Amino acid sequence: MPELGRAALALCLGLALYALIAGAYAAKTRRRRLAHSAQNALLAAFGAAGAASIVLLAALLRNDFSFKYVAEHTSRELPTPYTISAFWGGQEGSLLLWLLILTGFSAAAVALSRRSAPDLLPWAVPILGLVASFFAFMLVAVSSPFATQLAPADGAGLNPSLQNPYMMIHPPCLYLGYVGLTIPFAFAMGALLARRTDELWIVATRRWTLFAWTALGIGQLLGSHWAYVEVGWGGYYAWDPVENAALMPWLAATAFLHSVMIQEKRGMLKVWNVLLVVLAFCLALFGTFLTRSGVVSSIHSFSVSPLGGWFLGFIAGITAGSLIVIFTRLPLLRSKTRMESLVSREATFLYNNLLLVALCLTILWGVAFPILSEAVHGERITVSSPYYNFFLRVFGLPLLLLMAIGPLVAWRRASLRSLGRSFAWPAGIALAVGVVLLFLGAGSSWIGLVAYTFSAFVLASIGYEFVRGTRARKALTGGAWLAAFVELVGRNRRRYGGYIVHAAIVLLAIGVVGSSAYDTVRERTLAPGQTMGVSHYTVRYDRLVKRDGPNATEFRAILGVKKDGRSVGTLESGKNAYRAEDQTSNEVGIRSDPLTGEDLYVITDAINPNGTIAFKVLVKPLVNLIWISGVVFLLGSVVALWPSAAEQRRLASRYRELRAPARA
Amino acid sequence: MSRRGSPVRLVVALSVAAVLAIFLLYVSVTGGTPSIQPSQLHGRTGVVALDGKVTGTPAGDAQADGLRFHMRDVSGSGAGIPVVYRGSVPDMFEVGREVRVEGRLQDGVFVAKKDSLRTKCPSKYVAKKS
Amino acid sequence: MTVLALAIGAVLAVTCVVFVALPFLREPDPVEDRLDEPGVLERRALELAEERDRALAALKELEFDHRTGKISDEDYRELIGPLRARVAEALRALEPHAGSTEERVHAAG
Repeated sequence: MPELGRAALALCLGLALYALIAGAYAAKTRRRRLAHSAQNALLAAFGAAGAASIVLLAALLRNDFSFKYVAEHTSRELPTPYTISAFWGGQEGSLLLWLLILTGFSAAAVALSRRSAPDLLPWAVPILGLVASFFAFMLVAVSSPFATQLAPADGAGLNPSLQNPYMMIHPPCLYLGYVGLTIPFAFAMGALLARRTDELWIVATRRWTLFAWTALGIGQLLGSHWAYVEVGWGGYYAWDPVENAALMPWLAATAFLHSVMIQEKRGMLKVWNVLLVVLAFCLALFGTFLTRSGVVSSIHSFSVSPLGGWFLGFIAGITAGSLIVIFTRLPLLRSKTRMESLVSREATFLYNNLLLVALCLTILWGVAFPILSEAVHGERITVSSPYYNFFLRVFGLPLLLLMAIGPLVAWRRASLRSLGRSFAWPAGIALAVGVVLLFLGAGSSWIGLVAYTFSAFVLASIGYEFVRGTRARKALTGGAWLAAFVELVGRNRRRYGGYIVHAAIVLLAIGVVGSSAYDTVRERTLAPGQTMGVSHYTVRYDRLVKRDGPNATEFRAILGVKKDGRSVGTLESGKNAYRAEDQTSNEVGIRSDPLTGEDLYVITDAINPNGTIAFKVLVKPLVNLIWISGVVFLLGSVVALWPSAAEQRRLASRYRELRAPARA
Repeated sequence: MSRRGSPVRLVVALSVAAVLAIFLLYVSVTGGTPSIQPSQLHGRTGVVALDGKVTGTPAGDAQADGLRFHMRDVSGSGAGIPVVYRGSVPDMFEVGREVRVEGRLQDGVFVAKKDSLRTKCPSKYVAKKS
Repeated sequence: MTVLALAIGAVLAVTCVVFVALPFLREPDPVEDRLDEPGVLERRALELAEERDRALAALKELEFDHRTGKISDEDYRELIGPLRARVAEALRALEPHAGSTEERVHAAG
């Protein structure tokens, strides 16, 4: 069936081009039926992409090795879930996934916006068509998943390190995020092309942005967890270009989520917002490019492929085009309001934006530096963790502080006396926590101590906000505390959802600080029966066992663990030798302490022929807070995303009024 | 609304941005490690990241005295330069594999930084770091 | 090139083409084919509506901040006056009884 797949992709390309060309023409000349037809083309493109996807999926499930892609990424032995995940395991398939999600989101955006933003839609459609055309073109002409060959007896199989549940969710989750950022971009550009100065495009795409941002965040967290438990070097983030590829658009989107609030409240920063959404989208494209093109040397990347040039060209074109559109509409976007005070919530949002964008650009610089230095000097110079960690601290610590201050400051202008009263309790709690931590020994890393103090400040100020709000609500309506709390959150979903998300970020920060600034690492070669002490644990190497797994031979060292002198059970750590792929992988042993959230992490570095084993043992305090923060993050996002009937009504009436005035 | 604050704020903002940009450039230039291949190693004394292919027969214990092997250019030939490495050895390490290791040249032998050995994966999409 | 693939492909292509042509097939001879777009006056009205909503939201937020204690009594007294005036002004600009659309928009300036 590969011809069907190719035909479906060609059809998709044709439909996307039609949406682009006819859509643009229809918007310019205001033709209703043509605009509607272009919208339909986007919907049909989803159908075509879906058909192509079904063809590929069927080929994968059938183990049809006449498809080159299937032969390269699966084997007969491969369990079914991983056969399915091989869809996005390779370059061509992942591009198809991008196209599928893009056309799917475009179709949804068209369907939803027909009611809520009917005058923006004709302009957004050509933009969506443009992006879809690019990806469809790549799939048709440059990197097709439907290349055929003489079918070999068996396929090459999936790399063992990808054979775990994370492969099922991590890439699709990230793609939902990357692609999701296309929608706000399209509507922003659409609004500018239509010479609109109102904020309909923000209102119409707010949930899309939040959704994409959440997906990117969760996707990254999943990737980190995967690295931590499966790859097993003891860390969860290596500042690898491909990891950064997802972090950068996420940071830009975070800045964007905050700055649109300023535009909504005060009507300011219109130009900044449009620039940010363009930046976020371009970084999402760049992220896809980084992961797929092999341009930047990374453990993740493919071999260098022709895809790279096309991607770069497309990103350059989008950037140039967007900047031209923004520049020609600049007079329209001038706002009349000024920021009244440097001590106001608007100001804290602005500082937050500056810090986030600065961090984002710093990371971008670090990623691009090797390519630039090679082009200029002829020598590739790479930067690594020390560079990134430095700037993470420089920008991250002030960001933490801002997260604490922001909620306590009022809009427009906050007088010092109001500030003083609001700050008193949270700052007091934070200082107290800092002193206690100092006594507990946290002074070994002063950055860690500062980070902890700031984190306490944030949590205290968030708690204070919830308490004050609930109390005020209760005073207004009477009733129980819980009812008042639920009502409070229900009526201000974005604000309190946002606070919950802030709490998640703080938990993340605490987990990161604990596991990096206060961790312990020991390396020893042990013979059976020997022990080693790490922090307050004692680890004893008992014996080595060998097992036969489904597709690998498993070697495990059985270790006895004692914590503070008391035995807490055994731990297994070792390696897997994969038969089909002829590779070995690290299988680390992790013991998570349910009470303190710290991990005992054992890596089997080398199994020596003389019976000894080289172990590397790490103790990482508070590391499990990082994973817990993901759950809290998701909760906060859901609260913020949840539609509020009252708000929908108000917005609908505002835009309905627009159409109601008499043409008398 | 007052406009008197604006020029001052703009100047301050631009100055801060300029300072940051200069600092960024400085840190990236001095903090970075050049990536070179074994054939370019001759005469270099500083710390570099060496990219190349493993050749010869690896011998020794990376956890004890050091793992000794040779590295040559990815697309080159010949015996390559000798490397001595201590630390974690990635599972995919073997003769013919593309690897990257940081260190410096001392007396004709490339002495590697501990735990800095990384393997580059073949042209399949892999997410592996050892 | 299997017959099945050919058939499915043909069906897919035809469905898509028909779907794209649907607006033209449904209305081969429409009364008017213009896309509704807000004119200059309507856009001005929209800006005023957004300004009104902004002012109302700011007022609501001020009340909330005062009740929760984020803004002191003195600050509240200072800010409430101008804010209420802003709301009144914004509402007046959109007053439906002030005449036709054009009149009131021009009046608001």
